Amino acid sequence: MKLRSVKYLTGEGIKNIWANRLMSIASVGVLVACMVLIGLAILISLNVNKAMGTLEQQNVIMAYFNDLNSVLYGNASDSYVPETSSDATSSDEDADESSSSNKSSSNKSSSNKSSSGKSSSDSDEVKKPTDIPDDAYLIHNEKEALALCKKLEKLDNVLSVEYISSEKGLESIKEGLLDGKDQYFTFLDGEYGNPLSGAAKITLKDMGKFKETLKAIQNVKGVDSVQSQSDLADTINAIKNGIGIAGVWIIAILLIISLVIVSNTIRVTMYNRKLEISIMKAVGATNSFIRLPFVIEGIAIGVISAAVSMGILYFCYRVAIEAIREALGMMEIIGFSSVALPIFGVFIAIGALSGIVGSVIMISKYLKKEGSEFTAI
Amino acid sequence: MSKTYKTGTHALNDVNIRINPGEFVFVVGASGAGKSTFMKLIVREEKANTGSLIVNGFDLMKIKNKEVPHLRRTMGIVFQDFRLIPTMSVFDNVAFAMHVVGADRRRIRRDVSAVLSMVGLGNKARSMPSQLSGGEQQRVGLARALVNRPTLIIADEPTGNVDPNLSYEIVSKLTEINKQGTTVLMVTHDHNLVRDFQHRVIMLEEGRIVADNAAGGGNI
Repeated sequence: MKLRSVKYLTGEGIKNIWANRLMSIASVGVLVACMVLIGLAILISLNVNKAMGTLEQQNVIMAYFNDLNSVLYGNASDSYVPETSSDATSSDEDADESSSSNKSSSNKSSSNKSSSGKSSSDSDEVKKPTDIPDDAYLIHNEKEALALCKKLEKLDNVLSVEYISSEKGLESIKEGLLDGKDQYFTFLDGEYGNPLSGAAKITLKDMGKFKETLKAIQNVKGVDSVQSQSDLADTINAIKNGIGIAGVWIIAILLIISLVIVSNTIRVTMYNRKLEISIMKAVGATNSFIRLPFVIEGIAIGVISAAVSMGILYFCYRVAIEAIREALGMMEIIGFSSVALPIFGVFIAIGALSGIVGSVIMISKYLKKEGSEFTAI
Repeated sequence: MSKTYKTGTHALNDVNIRINPGEFVFVVGASGAGKSTFMKLIVREEKANTGSLIVNGFDLMKIKNKEVPHLRRTMGIVFQDFRLIPTMSVFDNVAFAMHVVGADRRRIRRDVSAVLSMVGLGNKARSMPSQLSGGEQQRVGLARALVNRPTLIIADEPTGNVDPNLSYEIVSKLTEINKQGTTVLMVTHDHNLVRDFQHRVIMLEEGRIVADNAAGGGNI
């Protein structure tokens, strides 16, 4: 098709919008409603995801190391007893194996052992480490602890690993839980006073793989026990999935509505212009020549709707942010400007796509007709 | 060639005809004789079931759908009901046919003005169709059919909706065009026109050619 024909037909398409202005306004109105709803669905989904992401960052897995303290101050059931424990007396050359079985036994009761200071351990009579052979535990020093952290960091779905030494753990307990009354807890000071194991604070990339990652962490040699809030992870996952599914459905339904609306406008336009189409065919117009003004009209309606929708969405979003901030106080909300361009892109794509698909579907019916068949429509 | 519609109606039966370039042919016959089908086959609105049909060098039995517009650009069609676009001026109605073939603005201005003058409507270029008489509207239709300089004019009862005296005017105009070398094929019911204009006459009856008089209507 020649460029001047394209120019002429583009002009005709734009003129058609004005010629069918009532229908065009109605179409733009309905399309705008659909697009604003789609935009709101996207914005809500993005904000919920962001909030969930923040929660995810706070939802960490604590992995406690299988170090001297874990052997000394573990629960009564799994604390070290040199004479009877088969774990501790297993082969010298395979320290990994022995500590692995040690870990598995202590895992069972691990939930009680936490940063709360392992209150179950009897701290009045602190055992001397000299009773315990070196192969009873895996993590002997900070270097090994850091190596274990590196190992954990390499696991799939692990975002970051922070090493919390037993001293650091104790400090944070003193600061947080003991509320400055640590003068009553001087027994915790000293070389063997601190009952806490070293630990790793692990943040995950995707909470959807929480269970698998947790299992992988538990299986790492040197990890004695893990502690996590799996309920929170499940809730976050459920919310994220729910929002995702609802968002997809809303967008899909509104897309179909948009397509039907534009198709209908084009159908009315075509009906009004059936005489013109029949003459076009009679004088030798190609199908693409006949189709183009209708496609242009559909696209133009879509683009106009996209622009109007952006304005309305911006206004609605601002009002909503104000209301949310007033009701909930400071809350991290995605700025409109940071998502405006992609959303506008989505709107333009929806408008143009519904214009093209709608007009192509509708006009194919007319293009099959010839001469007198038009008068019978 | 023969044409039977899906409804079972035998519209044309073994029609065998040759129309030479530069001829003026009247196609006459009663309603249902097959005149309209004959014209539809020529403009490829319909396709014959059997036989062969060659128009302006296009084999209409083998032509692809995408080639049909190119066939139609070699002919101009005049309709009984004028088929003018009511929202366009006389000038734009004629120019419309040129836009379809991708003509440039300058050529459109020049050719449309020339053809409107030729059909006697040079001073009505800016009028709307509703402001014209039936005869004038048909002359606009004629101008539109002529503007792309076709080698064949198909006129489907062009005088059906105009006064008898204007009918003569239109056929005179078609005869004038024919004298310049354009083939004209005109369907009509009007025996007076056929008698008064001495052109070849093909008579159809129940889908068959019952008379083909090259000497003119006076003998039918």
